[in-house]
This record gives sequence, C-alpha cells and structure tokens, in this order.
Amino acid sequence: MWAFIIRKILYNVPVYVGVLVLVFLALRVQDPVYQYLGQEAGQEQIDQLRRSMGLDRPLPVQFGIYLREVVTFNFEAQSWNQRGTEVGEILKRSIVPSLSLTVPALVLSTVIGVFISLIAAYFRGRAPDRILMIAAVLGMSISFLVYIIFGQFFFAAVPREAGLGWWPFAVQGYEPWIVFGEGGGVYPGRWVTYCMLPVMISVIVSMGYDTRFYRAVMVEETGRDYITTAVAKGATKPKIMFVHMLKNAMIPVITRVMSTLPFVVIGSILLEMYFGIPGMGREIITAIINKDFPVIQAFVAVFALIFIASVILTDVLYAVVDPRVRLS
Amino acid sequence: MASNLFQSRSWGKFTRNRFAVVSLGVILAYLLVAVASFVGVITLEDTQVRVLPDRTRGFLESSDLDKRSRDAQWFVERTSLRVQRAELAPESYERLMSELALRERRVADVPLERMAELIERAESQLDDLYDALDDRDEVLDEILFIDLELRRLGDSAEDAALASEMRSEREALLARVSDVDAAAETRIAAVEATILEIHPYPGGLGGLWYGVRTFLGSDAQGRSISMKAFYSIRIAFQVGLVVAVVCVIIGTVLGAAAGFFGGWVDYFVMYLVSVLSSIPTLVLLGVLVYMFFGHPLFDNPAERPGLALVPVYCAMCLTFWVSTCRVIRGEVMKIKNLEYVQAATSIGFGRVYILFKHVIPNTAHLMFINLSLLFIGAIKSEVILSFLGLGVKGQPSWGVMISQAKDDISVMFFWEVVTASVLMFGLVLAFNILSDALQDAFDPKHVS
Repeated sequence: MWAFIIRKILYNVPVYVGVLVLVFLALRVQDPVYQYLGQEAGQEQIDQLRRSMGLDRPLPVQFGIYLREVVTFNFEAQSWNQRGTEVGEILKRSIVPSLSLTVPALVLSTVIGVFISLIAAYFRGRAPDRILMIAAVLGMSISFLVYIIFGQFFFAAVPREAGLGWWPFAVQGYEPWIVFGEGGGVYPGRWVTYCMLPVMISVIVSMGYDTRFYRAVMVEETGRDYITTAVAKGATKPKIMFVHMLKNAMIPVITRVMSTLPFVVIGSILLEMYFGIPGMGREIITAIINKDFPVIQAFVAVFALIFIASVILTDVLYAVVDPRVRLS
Repeated sequence: MASNLFQSRSWGKFTRNRFAVVSLGVILAYLLVAVASFVGVITLEDTQVRVLPDRTRGFLESSDLDKRSRDAQWFVERTSLRVQRAELAPESYERLMSELALRERRVADVPLERMAELIERAESQLDDLYDALDDRDEVLDEILFIDLELRRLGDSAEDAALASEMRSEREALLARVSDVDAAAETRIAAVEATILEIHPYPGGLGGLWYGVRTFLGSDAQGRSISMKAFYSIRIAFQVGLVVAVVCVIIGTVLGAAAGFFGGWVDYFVMYLVSVLSSIPTLVLLGVLVYMFFGHPLFDNPAERPGLALVPVYCAMCLTFWVSTCRVIRGEVMKIKNLEYVQAATSIGFGRVYILFKHVIPNTAHLMFINLSLLFIGAIKSEVILSFLGLGVKGQPSWGVMISQAKDDISVMFFWEVVTASVLMFGLVLAFNILSDALQDAFDPKHVS
C-alpha cells in the first residue's frame, strides 16, 4: 500500500512542477508591474515595485524564488492591492470560509444525489424515474447565475425586506462556526445565517449532474451477476438496492465525489463572490480583476496543490475500496 | 466520413428520437438569429442606442403610475430643452429634433411654432399631473401615518375610542384613494396623448422594427433588451463554435496520437492533460485571460470589439480540449487492436496514414458528442466569465447582461435578467437534449 502511495506522489511531482511553470510563464507574458500600475505610473514607482517582487532578476532565479515559496509554504510577499498584508496571511484567513462552504455542500449533495438516484434506479423506466431525469436535465440547463441571483433575492433579500425578523438567511456576509470572543469566551457563530443558503444553492446546482451520473452507475450495477444471485436467493428488492448494490456502487461514487472537487471550487467562487464570503475563490478572482500579481501567483499554486492532493487521495481511497487497483 | 455517419443505424435511431429533432430545430432557430446578426441585420450599434426611457417594462406588464409619470417627465424635459435651444437658433431646429429620435421613433415633423405649442401644452399638463400626484401622495401618507399610530397604540384599552376613531378615518381615506388614483390616471393619460403627438409611433416596417426593439423593454440606460439578447446569441455561437471546433480538433489529434502510438507520445500528452486539469477550470481561465489584460490589440473593446473576444477563445481552447483528449484516447486504444487496423498494418500502410484514415474517422461519433458537450461548456463558462468581468467586453453577452442587470433586481425589475437567462436556458437545454440523444444513439454503453 505504501509503495502505491509513494508511486502516486512521485508521479504527481513533475505534474505539479509543470503547473508551476505554466502559471509562472502565463503571469509573465505581459509585464505584471505595468499591468498593475497602468500607463500613468512613474519610472521610479515601477522600478521599486519590480524590485520588491524580484521581477528584475533573471527568470530562472525568479522561478527559484517562486519554488522556494511554494515548497516551504511561506508566502511572505506582500499583496499589491491590499497594502501591508502578506499573501500567506490572506491565504490563512480565507481557507476556513471556503471550506465551511464547500465541505457541507459536497457532503450534502453526494448523500442526496445518491439517494435520489437510488429512487430513480428503483423505479427505472417508470414515471418517477422519468420525472426525476427530466427535472435533472432542466436543472442542468439553468445557469448557475440564475440560481444565485434569484436564490439570494427571493430567499434572503425579500423576506428580510418584508421584516421577517426570524428569517434565517442573510443577504451577504460571513461568520465562522465558532467565534472567539474578546474575553476569551467561545460562542457558536451564525454559520446557518450566512452559509446555509449558499450551501443549498450549491447542492441544488450539482443535483442535476450528480443524479444523472449516479443513476447511470446504479443502472449499470443492476446488470451484474451478484444482483442475479441475490434475486435468485430471494432477497427483497429494497434489500438488494440498499445493501448489495449501494456498497458496490461506492467505487464510482467516490471517484465522482473527488472529481467534482474542481466543480465545487468553481461553484464556490461564484457563491463567494455573490454572497460576500471571504474565501479563497473570492480572493483569487478579485486578485485577477485587480491584477494583484503576488496573490494570483501564490493562490494558483495552492489551488493546484489542493487539487493534486485530492487526486492522490482519490487514487488511494480507490485502492483501499477496490484492491484490484493496487496491482495494476 | 460524414456520409457514412448519416447512413448508419445509429443516425436512424437519433432521428427517431422526437425530442432530439425538436431540439435540433430550436438550435437552428437560434442559429438563424446568430446569422442575422452576422450579416448585419442586428448590429452592435442597435444594442448601444437608447430606444426607451430607463427600465421600461416589456410587453403584457404595465408600468405603475410613478414610473409612467417619470417617463412622461423624461420625454417632455428632453424635448423642451431642445425646443428652447431651437427657439434661440431656429436654423438648428431639424438637427436638434433628429437628436431626439429613438431609433425608428422620430419626433413629429411639424414646424417649430407648433412644436413649442405642443411642449407648452405638455408642460402644463405635467404640472396638473404633479398636483394630482401630490394629492395622491398626501392621502397615502396619511394612511401610512394612521397605520403607524394604530400600531403604536396597540390594544391598550384606554385608547380604544381614539383607535376606533382613527380606523373610521382610515376607511374614509381608503375610499378617497380610488378617487385620487383616477384623477392622476386621467391626467397622465392626457400627458401621454400629447407626448404621442410630439413623438408618434412609427408606422409600417419601421414600426415593426421598433416593436421588436421594445417588446422586451429597456435596460437601466434605455437600451433595447431584445436587441442585446439577440446580439448575445451571436456571441454565444461565436464562442461556442470556435471553442468546440478547435478543442475537438486538438483533443482528437492529440488523444488519438497518444492512444495509437503509446510510448513517449502518450506520456507527453497525458502529462499535458494532467497539468492542465490540475488547475480548477475557472482559475485557469482567469489566469489565461490575465495574460491579455491591457493588450493594445486584444483588450481594446472600444475600437476592436471583435478581437476583444480572442482572450476568451484562447483561454477556453487551451482549457477544454482535455476532456475530449481523454475520451478519444480511450476509444483509440480499443480501436487499435481491432482487425481492420491489423489488416491495414499488414497491407503495409504507414502508421500515420492508418491513424488519420482508419482510426480517427471511427471516432467521429465521439467527436460529435464532444462538440455538443463543449458547446454547452463554452457558453456556460463565457457567461460566468463575463459575469465576473473577465469575459466579453465592449459588446453584450448574456453574462454581461446578467451582470449589468443584477442591480435592477433590487428595484423589482426583472426583464433583462429573465430575458438573458431564458434565452440561455433554451439554448443550453436544446444542446443538453441533443448531446443525450447523440450519446444514446452512438455511444450507448457510455456512463455519463
């Protein structure tokens, strides 16, 4: 098993280096300093900013600096747009809000998606299945933006405006699970108020894609020999579905969950932008819009690292669930 | 290759799917609008010129009194300003009036004296309207005040007499509401009639065009929502087609080469695929768009709106070929062990010849499916990028429309958002159904 894990990690090291080279070069196609400061900037200002990021040194040296930052995970360059803040600081404070959005969304959408797909597979070809699948295609065709804009308006802005004081969802903002008070006290944060609506929107958006995939998996499983055996020995249909089949369908489900991670990240970027949640997605998009070079460079590296880690984790989980994988 | 495809059994299966044929028809209808825009029936200028007052509602939804009076005021003010100027310098009268034209809807062709008369009448009618509106506001304010007082008094017993007195007063005021409303209504109708005299609706073909421009209302700057939405169809097709075709070509060639030759070609291609898919799509798109920021050629929407799309094309083409490449590689690895490839090899054909002549044509069905899937992906990404301000610039697109209109929502004006989303929904739904049908017909074993 360890050999398998190490092999996976070793395979992904050159991939990660490739990502870093790609990002490194893409960000230097045009002069980042000039991009940020615009045409009116004085030469002195340009030179100063260029020196502060080491952009006046030769490219290999610059790449060395970048590599060192990533390997030691010590991003001490200062953000250009948020003066006086280190990139590492921004990174640290934005990870938790992102996770508090994506993790519940991922868990909820998987559980609900598998459940609905089981229902669809159970009624395969009959009315409930048809209706669910039509709903899935319709849901897939609606733009993410529509869900966000109208979700926020009708489920947060309108009720708040109407003076429903007890209404649970806020229009914008963020608070973590746990708030540390000034006197050392610990209070439960208003996570539900700020994050529940974005999480629900995220779940609804991914529902269409998820149920279609899981249903296809389930339908494929129904043709297997072990199902025939279970039917022959007289197991009831619900038992076959929820006990025999669900366990075996777990392999593609795990792969799917892991491979939807980038989608969840994308989704959370839009949600974070719109609901004012100070997460990583919001930081990187605002950094790109503001041409905040140090932040872009560091954040893309971290995003890719998280992604590659999740890919390795998928493979390992896969190998744990299905021992055949280890041998190949 | 294509003619074989249309004679195959799978193609028959595809055309027997009614939904698929309908969705194909829908896509063709969209394509027609896109072509209309390409040949110049709908121009960029149409989407940038004012046709109505700000945020006018579309068909079947009437505006409320406040909005109508604001519009009337807007019409009268902009006309009277120019009439005053024309009275000082009569020779510029024609030019000033032509400035007022809202596309086909021009100012009535009357001499200056008549126009001044009309404007005077409209202004006095407007004053009457303001009086009526003031009365109405007074009544409504009083009702609001009584409501607040009643709430303050609550159920306390000692003020019961006072409360009941207030309630009866409120009833009386409520009865007056319909009167003041009717008064305001007649006066606004009078102003609108005068405005129509100044600014008549065009007849004939021009009237039809003006109707097309205005039937979905106008955005926050009075521009035609329908024209913006139709122009966006062209942008969507441009982005969708360019990205889908380029990605399918790159993905097929690289994927087929990787699957067919194996060895270091395979390693190299799969390495590229791994690298590109290790960055979340939207982040990668953002970084690639960043490469073009501020470029005098490609980020200059005011002068070169066509070239301003190049960053979007490049970013998506570099990002999206990966999925096609994976699928084609898998298929080619299966195909290369089939008998006809062995036969071709034993005849003595070259490897590259076999690849292009025998292997790639047999992945045509996958290419079609991926074309359709990539089209959807490109449109959706374009909308999201444009919404974030990283995509289309200098011309309308559904994402730009939604992002421009998101402030309209808080004032309950939905026409722009809904138009953009409904049009986009229709196209994406049609393509979704089409991809499903293609998949069912040509690649039935596939687990989506």
